[in-house]
Amino acid sequence: MLSANEIRKVVAERTAHQKGTGKRVVDVREEMERLEERGELVIHRIRPENRPVEASTLFGWTKRIPTDRLWHHKSCGQCGNIPGYPSSLLWLMNETGRSYLNEPHQTSCTAWNYHGTATSNPVALAAVAARNFHRAYETGHFPLIHCGTSFGDYKEMRKLLVENTEVRHKVREVLRKMDRDLVLPEEIVHYSEWVHAMTPEILARQRYPVKGIIATVHEPCHYYKMVPEDAVYDDAIYAGQRPAVPSGILMALGATVADYSTWYDCCGFGFRHILSEREFSRSFANLRKIRPMVEEAHADVAITSDTGCVTTLDKSQWIGKAHGLSYLLPVLADVQFAALALGAHPYKIAQVHWHSSSTEGLLTKMGIDWRTAKEEFQEYLRALKAGATPELLHPAHGEIETFFAVNKGQVLPEASGPAPTSASASAPAAVPAVGGPAK
Amino acid sequence: MSIVARLPRRTLSLTEEEEAAPPTMELTGRRRMTAEERGTAATIFQEFRADRRHREFVVGCLNCGECTTGCPAARFYDFSPREMLQIAQNGDATTLWDAMQEKIWACCQCYTCNMRCRFGNDIAGIISVMRELSVSHGLESTRRTLAPFGRSLTLLMTVGTQVASDMIQPDFFRDWGPFATGSDKVWQVSAEVMRKAIPSDVLQTTRSSWEVSVQTSLELFRIYEETGVLDMLRGLDPDLTEMLIDIIEERREEFVEARERFQDQLAGQTGPVTTFSG
Amino acid sequence: MNPILVLGGGPAGLSATAELASLGAPTLLVERESYLGGNPKRWHYSLLAPDLRPAEEVMDPLLERVTGRPEVELRLGTTLTKAERTATGFSVALRSADTTVTREVSAVVLATGFDHFDSRRKFEYGYGRYPDVLDFKELEGMIHDDKVLRPSDGRPPKRIAWILCVGSRDVQVGNPWCCRMGCAVSIKQAVEIRQKHPEIDAYVYYMDIRTYGLWEDLYWKSMQEYGVKFIRGRIGQVTVAEGGSRLIATGEDTILSRPTEVPFDMIVLASGMEPGTGTKQAAELFGVPVGPEGFLTPRLSDLNPVDSGIPGVFFAGAATGPKAIPDAVTEGMGAALRAFQYARR
Repeated sequence: MLSANEIRKVVAERTAHQKGTGKRVVDVREEMERLEERGELVIHRIRPENRPVEASTLFGWTKRIPTDRLWHHKSCGQCGNIPGYPSSLLWLMNETGRSYLNEPHQTSCTAWNYHGTATSNPVALAAVAARNFHRAYETGHFPLIHCGTSFGDYKEMRKLLVENTEVRHKVREVLRKMDRDLVLPEEIVHYSEWVHAMTPEILARQRYPVKGIIATVHEPCHYYKMVPEDAVYDDAIYAGQRPAVPSGILMALGATVADYSTWYDCCGFGFRHILSEREFSRSFANLRKIRPMVEEAHADVAITSDTGCVTTLDKSQWIGKAHGLSYLLPVLADVQFAALALGAHPYKIAQVHWHSSSTEGLLTKMGIDWRTAKEEFQEYLRALKAGATPELLHPAHGEIETFFAVNKGQVLPEASGPAPTSASASAPAAVPAVGGPAK
Repeated sequence: MSIVARLPRRTLSLTEEEEAAPPTMELTGRRRMTAEERGTAATIFQEFRADRRHREFVVGCLNCGECTTGCPAARFYDFSPREMLQIAQNGDATTLWDAMQEKIWACCQCYTCNMRCRFGNDIAGIISVMRELSVSHGLESTRRTLAPFGRSLTLLMTVGTQVASDMIQPDFFRDWGPFATGSDKVWQVSAEVMRKAIPSDVLQTTRSSWEVSVQTSLELFRIYEETGVLDMLRGLDPDLTEMLIDIIEERREEFVEARERFQDQLAGQTGPVTTFSG
Repeated sequence: MNPILVLGGGPAGLSATAELASLGAPTLLVERESYLGGNPKRWHYSLLAPDLRPAEEVMDPLLERVTGRPEVELRLGTTLTKAERTATGFSVALRSADTTVTREVSAVVLATGFDHFDSRRKFEYGYGRYPDVLDFKELEGMIHDDKVLRPSDGRPPKRIAWILCVGSRDVQVGNPWCCRMGCAVSIKQAVEIRQKHPEIDAYVYYMDIRTYGLWEDLYWKSMQEYGVKFIRGRIGQVTVAEGGSRLIATGEDTILSRPTEVPFDMIVLASGMEPGTGTKQAAELFGVPVGPEGFLTPRLSDLNPVDSGIPGVFFAGAATGPKAIPDAVTEGMGAALRAFQYARR
């Protein structure tokens, strides 16, 4: 087997000389600098207050991962049907004392509309990306992308906006009509990279050892197969042959990450398939992913780091009974697993009740008293039903924000040097306590 | 100069005459196309070949099949990315037309083929170009394929998120089991209360994935107007398109009213406040 | 006359040396390794395509022609470290283990050859990770000794697959060229195994079969007489099953247009040819033009494929691109003649 350094060299060769096609993978970040000098765009830079941590990408390039003062770019599917996904991430940020904005002034990346139904086009996708980037920029918070597809799409759109003058000019024209201009973040950052960068601080707060847990990782396609050069790899994880996220955090927490033969396959989500061709999605998920995970690796849990993958792998299993496939392997996002290991409330924070494949067996194995937690949650639901005020991880937004994307800590394009004025409403200290560890 | 770079860009490049009158190849046993369909197929073919992405995405092919090796759709459908690339590469309007009827929709857009391709093609990308054309030309088969997506399309275009928790209805998602929908049978509370139990106010809605401010939704719609997406959609479903415009009109009125209502607060904002008027 | 330097003791270099000696020219044969014979010797090639003659029968006469000849000075375990043009040719520095000597030579034949592609670089196939995934140069030695056994458990395989074009015709690893040998050698290996062990099933996964010219006979016979099976399509990934005891080759059968997954006991990779380390070094020392692939480039590859375009420097064998042994031998002869003419000018 090649050593990590040898692999790094091979991978570098794969990009560096691409003999034959004349195609060379260019570091889009360098081109962004040139375009900024020419006044064609503004780079949203990672600043000291973002407390960046360095990581390494597929080609050994350095990627800076901001860990503080972040703008949450939420995911449709996560918020829609696996809400424990974003809430676990917000909870981890509170626990580790990181500030953020979670606002209503964000649209989805709309990439579903392109990769699913093709009812959009690349110029529109690029404009949507740029609009969201600009919004993050004007709040002085660095965008953190929750969804794997959004991450992949934004990497593609950043490349398109940098490499294609025509698209860039058209998008700027559209943005001006809404009082915005072209801003591209220095790095496109996936939340799982934040988790990777925060590993030491997460470990410092670990409450439940997860030594006996066997986890199988499904690597989200759009994390590393779209614009591959922008995914994070680490020599210590699979000798750099597979992405470092989300395997890294699981290994660090002490779980056994087990290999299985179909690790490279997609989950079966397929965009439109998960809604209108579910026979395909569930066949693929059960036969190509869940079965090898259970039968080859004897997994206790499947861990992944994208919206569609959690949905497909989790929701597809229940119906498997009809075909004699009764695996019901729990499927969680890396952040949910990490939050649980740190003592997050399984229902109030990790919101495991939205998952089709029961997680209670796993919780027991982790040493978490889910029965008490479940009773607490049921009581909480009764209180909410009776009109109690919900517990929140961050302050609620004002009524004005139902309509207007008002500014918080505005940073003007000219003023990329000094820190933005702090009108931010996201200091974790001001956050009311919620959840708390289960006993 | 390397071996491949020395070769002409595409050995199957078309002459000017061929470009003007796209070749057609009648496959044995296929249904005869109507004159109208032939015309549409010819136009689609020309637009397809003129798209800059065709030049960038389709490089060449050794027919090695590594793309199909990793393809999830190839396992369950009569589909292979290799076949799609061959169709994209070769100059034939009717074969392209045939592929656009059904096959292009099998693709999962997972990009596994792209990562594997030893010739450096963007196969998932070129399939997207075919899909776009099938939408903008309002192909009957495309209309049927996309029929189940009216609700999510409406939500996305008028609000900005693709799904809403109230879309995951137990009746439609019975195969997801009793827990997926936060069902009241399990927890004895309504869907609204289940959402209230999520510890972030932005997520406490059942009508979209998260609450999107009106200004943000209107900005998104403006993007769709300006980038030709509404025109694409008109080709597919004119009624739906008019409905979207009506919904947005209402939201614009709401926005203008709110501007008056929040006049004082807006004036008190630090930093420039948007001048976006909807 | 100062001696003519032949750099490299593989088939091309041996052929050039033998011809020069027969012309009565003093010849200095320099070889980096401690033995002569190049890659065929290094990897213990078994039968050689296309005539299926044992490698020894081809290589031994070549070796005999250069050993013990008074015209030939042999320096093994020696590398070239410096080359400077002089009025009569070149002054070259030769380093063996601990000493460096300087010699005057009248002309140079670069027969520095190729290296096999390092199959670990195509890590989809798990070479170096799964013991039963072999490089075909390793199988040569096994066939030669008639010990075709699974390295993992020492048991004889029941079913073997060959994957062609590993590290060839692939921009993912930066090698878009064809190795010219992989098809013939793999088929030959399958035939050899089927001859001795008809109970072993042999499958060849291919994109194109390039048994060019008269070698086509080998391809046909492999099916007609030895029942070797050919599946058109590449394997995209090798994984393991049954607790690691069986390899699973995943690919597309591009004739049937279906994905395939087939269990095998052993998988053999037909690794491509890359410019040898010595070729790269020689190019730098003599200032010889090199193509984007890293092979030496003749001035006129059609009219005179052994001339470098630099006075006194000639090429032979796989230093200018993948080549079979007969071609390497022929080029050795041509380069010898051209170098002799130059030295005597």
